[in-house]
Amino acid sequence: MRLSGLRPIALVLTREVMITVLLLLGVSFVVFVILYLAPGDPFSMLVEGQVQSEEARAGAREALGFSQSWYSQYFSWVTQMLQGDFGTSIRTGLPVASELVFVGFNTLILTIGSMLVTLLIAVPIALYSSVRGTTALSWPLTMFAYVVSALPVFWLGYIVIYIFMHRFGLFPLMTSSSRGFSWLYALLPIVVLGVGNGTISEVIRSLRDEMGRVMSEDYIRTARAKGASVWKHSFKEGFLIPVTEIIAAKIPFILGGAVIVEQVFNWPGMGRMAWQAAQDRDFPVIMGIAMLAAVFVRMGSMFQRVVYVMVNPRASKE
Amino acid sequence: MKNAPLLKIEDLRTYFYSRSKQAFIRSVDGVNLEIRRGETLGVVGESGSGKSITALSVLGLISGGPGVIAGKILFGSNGEQKDLLDGLEGYVKIGREQNRIMQVSKDVLGWERRSDEVMRTIRGGEIAMIFQNPKASLNPFTPVGKQITEAIRLHTKITDAQEAAERAIYWLKRVKIDSPALRFDNYPFGLSGGMCQRAMIAMALACEPALLIADEPTTGLDATIQSKIVDLLAELKSELGTTTMLISHDISVISRLSDSVVVMYGGTVVEYGPVRDILTASISSKHPYTSALLASIPGEEHVRDKVALQAIEGDVLDTINIPAGCRFYARCNRVTPKIRENCERREPDLREIAPGHRARCWLYFD
Repeated sequence: MRLSGLRPIALVLTREVMITVLLLLGVSFVVFVILYLAPGDPFSMLVEGQVQSEEARAGAREALGFSQSWYSQYFSWVTQMLQGDFGTSIRTGLPVASELVFVGFNTLILTIGSMLVTLLIAVPIALYSSVRGTTALSWPLTMFAYVVSALPVFWLGYIVIYIFMHRFGLFPLMTSSSRGFSWLYALLPIVVLGVGNGTISEVIRSLRDEMGRVMSEDYIRTARAKGASVWKHSFKEGFLIPVTEIIAAKIPFILGGAVIVEQVFNWPGMGRMAWQAAQDRDFPVIMGIAMLAAVFVRMGSMFQRVVYVMVNPRASKE
Repeated sequence: MKNAPLLKIEDLRTYFYSRSKQAFIRSVDGVNLEIRRGETLGVVGESGSGKSITALSVLGLISGGPGVIAGKILFGSNGEQKDLLDGLEGYVKIGREQNRIMQVSKDVLGWERRSDEVMRTIRGGEIAMIFQNPKASLNPFTPVGKQITEAIRLHTKITDAQEAAERAIYWLKRVKIDSPALRFDNYPFGLSGGMCQRAMIAMALACEPALLIADEPTTGLDATIQSKIVDLLAELKSELGTTTMLISHDISVISRLSDSVVVMYGGTVVEYGPVRDILTASISSKHPYTSALLASIPGEEHVRDKVALQAIEGDVLDTINIPAGCRFYARCNRVTPKIRENCERREPDLREIAPGHRARCWLYFD
């Protein structure tokens, strides 16, 4: 790639980063307001029964700044966040930032892995049916994909745990105390989330239609007329661009599914942490995870934009 | 062998099965034609007369739906004649129930594999094709020069990238694109329609094909650009002498560039002969459809005297329900009482009415 080709990419990245910063501010504000308006606080949930006197609770609230107005609380949170300080968890007392790195990494593995599993199932079926049209094989394949897409992920998760862990003992059980990462632990949740995130049939449909549309373009006919590879000429518009678009569009769905899968498999990721924090009204943790989820979603769309600009010569002129 | 035509199409039939109507759409229905070495054959006819489908059939580019092709497409090059439809019959099965076609099944992949095998050296190498709407016909994601070098490296002895690029620039210059070295790196969206068509022509000719098929090369371009493209084609014709099949509904383009002309109507050839005999309006012995076609072209007198143009009455033939008699009968204004019965009942042959000039009309049967 020539140096001049890097300029549009740099431009797009700058623009996307700016959008991301604005979006993070927006998301943090909305989440903060919702949390503020929601009934209860950490002390009504967690400290019930532990802190005896009403005075002690009031003291704790005071120490954590809960007595200030909501906007001054929000601004102090934002200023700290901009310095990389996400506060400490009210429940555990640990710094949220380092906690986020740990769960973020685990969820990233789960998300990327499941995305790959989804694509690994959907892409061959989509390509097969776009190239060969309706055949005796494409129908059952598509049916299979629709059925699989309809399986609820929690149900699939428990079935898989029962069969592979309890029945045959093929995979070790994950315990909440295990902090290290192991591919063996990761495999089952990745596959379950990849199969059960409910997007397979949609991915097949959009990729098949897009590939079919490109195949009937005039320039593909030209490629055939000159004896060149149709696959080579249709790759960018018929495959690369739709696949990156799918990845960007489906990341929120997979993150949503991750909350459930992480519960089921006891996977120490942000989904499980979010669940726990929501029950505890652990404000700093919830805010931090909301930020991290937004960053993940934005990363998907940044990836898609960069690929699009690299592939499409016209995009850099837009 | 030297005198054998470069391309000889015998009784070509290209049908598409319509599932909803349970019948074939007979887009090309028994076409016979020949292209001699070095000549330019013009193919004229209204939209839907089967011109383009004939051309696409020659290159095996009929895709989509259960298309059925029968007949022979004999292409002679390197001293041997090859049937481009050889071995394709086996991939289509037609289920009939009392003369009614109930089902057509086609092993699309097998068909395409076989076609690709037969056409391997032919597509782009021995037969090159240019299309209408040049902007959409070039790959929008690849620089123009790279698309030309791809063709060069596929079909000529040149495999070195640098050498192929030089060759591509040579051809871009040849089709009169200014600053060809700069245009080489341009994407199609940065070029005008006319320039894209020039690049398409360069890409087609860069492999020095034995036959060039130009399918409506001026359609979709501005009028001024159209005439420039025709000028270029005329110039290349006199310089290179490439055998060409030129498809157009524009009679002026055909008459300027062709040596012989085929007139198509309703999927078949209705008239065939030297360009002078067929496209000169004052010579009256010709197929009534050709006469009507010529009468519908605006001429000087229409502009000067504000004479209304003579449109051909009626609609283009419905190629599902082809009548038993002459295909043009329903729209013909030259039916005489003497031949009416024949016109209605039987389709006439393509019969010689003057040396080298054949027409499919009962008027010329005695």
